[in-house]
Amino acid sequence: MNAKLAMVIDSAKCIDCKACVAACKQANHVSRGVWRNWIKEAAPPLENGKLGRGHFQPGACMHCDEPSCVAACPTGATYKNTADGTVVIDHKLCIGCGNCLKACPYGARFRDPVKRIADKCTYCPERRAAGLAPACVDTCPTKARVFGDINDPGSAAAQLLAANKGRVVRVIAKEKDTKPNMYYLASTAPDGWAVKPVDPLSFDALSQVVAPLVKYAVGLSGLGVLAMLGRQLLAGPKPEATPGHDTKEDGHDAS
Amino acid sequence: MTPADTEIKRHAPSDIRIHWFNAACWLLLLATGLGLIKNERLNPLGAWFPDALRALFGGGTAGGAALLAIHEAVGVLWLLGFAAYLTVNAGGARFFLREIFSVRPGDFLWLLRKMGRMTIGRGGELPPQGYYNMGQKAFAQASVVGGAAIALSGLVLLLSDKALPAAVVVVIGWAVTLHYLAVGLVFAGLLVHIYMAAISPEEKPGFRSMFTGSVPVDYARHHHGLWVESLEKGRSGAEETNKRF
Repeated sequence: MNAKLAMVIDSAKCIDCKACVAACKQANHVSRGVWRNWIKEAAPPLENGKLGRGHFQPGACMHCDEPSCVAACPTGATYKNTADGTVVIDHKLCIGCGNCLKACPYGARFRDPVKRIADKCTYCPERRAAGLAPACVDTCPTKARVFGDINDPGSAAAQLLAANKGRVVRVIAKEKDTKPNMYYLASTAPDGWAVKPVDPLSFDALSQVVAPLVKYAVGLSGLGVLAMLGRQLLAGPKPEATPGHDTKEDGHDAS
Repeated sequence: MTPADTEIKRHAPSDIRIHWFNAACWLLLLATGLGLIKNERLNPLGAWFPDALRALFGGGTAGGAALLAIHEAVGVLWLLGFAAYLTVNAGGARFFLREIFSVRPGDFLWLLRKMGRMTIGRGGELPPQGYYNMGQKAFAQASVVGGAAIALSGLVLLLSDKALPAAVVVVIGWAVTLHYLAVGLVFAGLLVHIYMAAISPEEKPGFRSMFTGSVPVDYARHHHGLWVESLEKGRSGAEETNKRF
C-alpha cells in the first residue's frame, strides 16, 4: 500500500508559541510576508459572565485526497503524489495563473511575492529524505503536531488516530469535502474557518464556455474539410470546370 | 507589367519566408502548447497527449517544465520573426492588412457560393475576387486578430512569474482563457486553410506560389480577376502591388 503522509493534531496541547511557523520559514526559506503554516485562535467564549476556554489551532496544507487546487491547475504543475499522498507544486511548471489560490478552501496557498508563483506546505521533503520530521513537527515543544504515514499502523500518527477513534475531526470545506489529511483530536473541535473552494471566473469561462466552443468550432471545420475532401475524391479531379482554368495542373494534381 | 507573360509575381521573398516561418512556429507552439495543458476539465485531446509529450522530455512535471521552456522560447522567436519581417517589408505588411480588411460587395455571396460548391457541389456563379478571395481574407483576418490576441496573452503568461505583481493575478487567469480561445478559433480556420491551399487540386498554383512567388496569369485571372484587372489598368492597386517587389 502506498504511504499517506498526514498530520494528527492535538490542539489542546498548542500553546500558540508560533515556533512551528518560525521553524517552517527558516527551514524552507519562505519569502518575507508569507507563511506556509499557521496557528489560528478561537476566542474564549463568554458564558454567564465568565470567560470560557479558548484554544489555539495549528494548521497548514492538508494534502487532501480530492484536492480542489489540483482540479483547478491548468498545467498539472500541482498534483497529488501517489507514492506518499502529498500535494506537490512543481515550481518550474507553475505559470502563476493563481487558479489554485482560491480553489483551496483552507487558504493554505499563497502567491510567493518573490518567485511570483504558488507556494504552500510541502511536508519538508529534504528533511524527510534525511530521516527527519517536518520542521514544524520537530520544533513543537508540546508535540501538538504529530506527523507520519497513517497507512502504516506502526507510525505515531496512525497510533494516535487509532487511540482516538471516533473522536477525530477534520475541517471540511463548505459544499465540498476535499478529503483533507489533517486530523484534529475532538477534545478541541476546530472552528469553522474553512471557506467554499471557488474557481476564478476566468477558469470557469475557460472550462465551461471556451473549451466546448473551441471543440465545436474545430469539429465543424474538420467536418467541412472532410466534406470537401470526400467530394474531391468522389467527384473526380475537376469539381469546378471553368473556362480559363489551367486544366493540365488540375488533372495532374488530382491523380 | 510583370516579368513573363505567363506568370504574375504575387509574393515577395520576405512574404514567403514569414509564411513558412509562421507555419513552423505554429506547429511547434501548438504541439508544445497542447502538451502543457493537463487538467481533467480541459484536456482537449485527453490526458494521453500531454503524458506522451512529457515522456519525451523526461516525463512528469519535469517533462512539462521542459515543454514550457521550449514553448516560451519558440513563442519569443515567433514574435522576433514578425518584428524582423516588419523591418524588412513594412510596405508588404501594410498592403496585406489593407487587402484583407477591405471587404467588397459580393464577397459574402462569394463565400456562401464557394462553400456550397466545395461541399455539396452546388452554389452558383462566383463574383470576381481581388488580390485575396473572401475565404483567404476571412482566415487572414482571424490570423491577424487571433495572432495579436495570442501574442499579447502569451506575453502576459511569459511575464507572469518574471515581472507581474500579485495585483494582476486576475489578468493572468484571463490571459490563459484568451490564449486558449484565440488558438482554438485560428486552428479551426487553419484546417480549412491547409485543405484549400495544399490539398484541394484547384488551388495548386497558389500553393506553388508560396514557394516560387508567382502564379500563372490564367490562374490569377480566374481566381483573382479584380486583381489582374487592376494590374492591367495600371490603377493605384497595381502600383501598390508593384511597389512591394
